[in-house]
Amino acid sequence: MGVFVYLPLVLPLTALPMARLAEQHLHPRSATRLLAAVGSTLALCSTLCLALLMVVGTAQLPGNPLPDGWSDPEVRAAVPYEEKAGLIAIGVLAAVVTAWCSMLLRHARTRIRAARALPPSAGDGFAGGLTLVPSPHPYAYALPGRRGRDGRIVVSTAMMDCLDAGERRALVAHERAHLAGRHHRYLLVTQLAARANPFLLPLRTAVAYSTERWADEEAAYEVGSRRAVATAVATAALVSHRPPGPAVLPAFATAGPVPRRVAALLDPAPPAGLWPPASTHLALAAVTATVGTAASALSSLNATVTLVGILHAATPL
Amino acid sequence: MNRPTGTDDGSTRDGPRLPRRGQGQLESQVLTVLRSAGGPATAGWVQEHLDGDLAYTTVITILSRLYAKKAVTRTRQGRSYAWTPASDEAGLAALRMRRVLDGEDDREAVLARFVSALSPGDEARLRALLSRAAEDPDDGSGDGRPGSAAPEG
Repeated sequence: MGVFVYLPLVLPLTALPMARLAEQHLHPRSATRLLAAVGSTLALCSTLCLALLMVVGTAQLPGNPLPDGWSDPEVRAAVPYEEKAGLIAIGVLAAVVTAWCSMLLRHARTRIRAARALPPSAGDGFAGGLTLVPSPHPYAYALPGRRGRDGRIVVSTAMMDCLDAGERRALVAHERAHLAGRHHRYLLVTQLAARANPFLLPLRTAVAYSTERWADEEAAYEVGSRRAVATAVATAALVSHRPPGPAVLPAFATAGPVPRRVAALLDPAPPAGLWPPASTHLALAAVTATVGTAASALSSLNATVTLVGILHAATPL
Repeated sequence: MNRPTGTDDGSTRDGPRLPRRGQGQLESQVLTVLRSAGGPATAGWVQEHLDGDLAYTTVITILSRLYAKKAVTRTRQGRSYAWTPASDEAGLAALRMRRVLDGEDDREAVLARFVSALSPGDEARLRALLSRAAEDPDDGSGDGRPGSAAPEG
C-alpha cells in the first residue's frame, strides 16, 4: 500500500484544469456528463481511501470493534500502520457522512416544501406542468417530480411580465429541458462529491454552469432562436437580481455565470462532438484529468484489494 | 407531486375528495369561506360555513396560522376577533413559495433557477450584451417560430 493510499485524497486536483476548460470549450451536455462522472469517481475513491486509513490506523487501538485478527503482528507488518492518520480519518469520514446526510435531507426537504407550496392541481394557472404563481418577485425554476414524471415548472407573474412572447417560450423551454434531462441529478451528484473532497468544489460550480448552458442550448433549439433565449436570460437576471453594492465597472470583476451564458448564446452553437478537442489546452487538461482519475481509481482499488486480502487471511472465520 | 385537493367550492378545482385533509388544504378551505363572507367574519361564522366538522379551536388555530403568514388580517370585535382575508389562495401559494426560495442557498441550489445571482459588474455586462443582441441581425425571429431555421444545438 505505502503512500499510494493517500493519493486519492489529492488526485482530485487533476480535475481542476478540466473543470475550467470543459465549461468553456465543450458542448455543455458533454461537459456536464464528463465532469459528473469524473467527480463522482474521484469522490468515491477519496472516501474509500479515508475508510481504508481508518481501518488500518485503528485496528490496533484497544476497544475497537474490529476482529482481533486485524491487529495481528503479521497484518501490522504487511499494512503500514499509522495511528494518527487513522484517527484523523475517523473524524474526516464522520464529517463527510454527516455532510452527505444533511445535504440529502435538505434536498428532500426543499423539494417537498416547494411542491407543497404550489396550488394542488389544475387551477387556471396550470397547463401541462407549468404553474403560474401570482407574485411580485420575479423567479422561475423547475421542480423535478418523482421518477421523471409530474415535474413542474414554476414561473411567477412578475417574471412573465418582464418577458415578451418569444422570451417566455424560451424560458419555459429552458425549464422543460432541465426536467427532461434530469439535470438535478447531475447537480446532486457533484454537490455530494464536493462534500466528500473539497478539491472537487470547482467541479460543482462547473457542472451547475454547464447544466444551465445545456438547458439554454436545448431551449434555443426548441424555440429556434438563440437570441430569444439570450435576451430572456439577460432580462430575467436584470429584473430579478440587483447585485449588492455600487455598480462596478466590468473590467474590475470577473464575469459571473449569467453574462457568460448570454454571451455564449449570442455566439454560434457549440459543436456537439467530443472529438476532435477544441483546443490543445483542453486536450491536455482532459489527459490530466483522465490520468488523475485512473490513478486515483487504481490506487484505491489496489489498496482495497491488498488490504482485503491481508485481512481476510488474518481473520479466523 | 400533486396533492389531490379537498376543496369543494366547485369553481376552479377538481379532484377526488379525501377524508384526511392536509394543513394546506384546511388553510385554503378556511380562506375560501372567509372570502365568501365578503367582509370581516368571526371564527364562529367561519366554522358554521365550513363544510365538515371542524372544532372551533381548530378554526382558530388555522386562522392564527394564516394570520402569522399575513394571509388574513384581524380586528378586535368585542371579546373576539373579526377576520378578513388579505390574499387569495394563489397569493397564499406565492407566499409559501417565497419562503422556500428565500431559504435556498444560491450556491447549493436544489431547484434549478432560471437565473442565478449577479456578481458586481454583471449588470453593466448584461446591458452591453442586450444592446449587442438588439443590433445583431436576427437569427430566427423574436417570436421564436420553431422551424427549419433552427440552429443545431
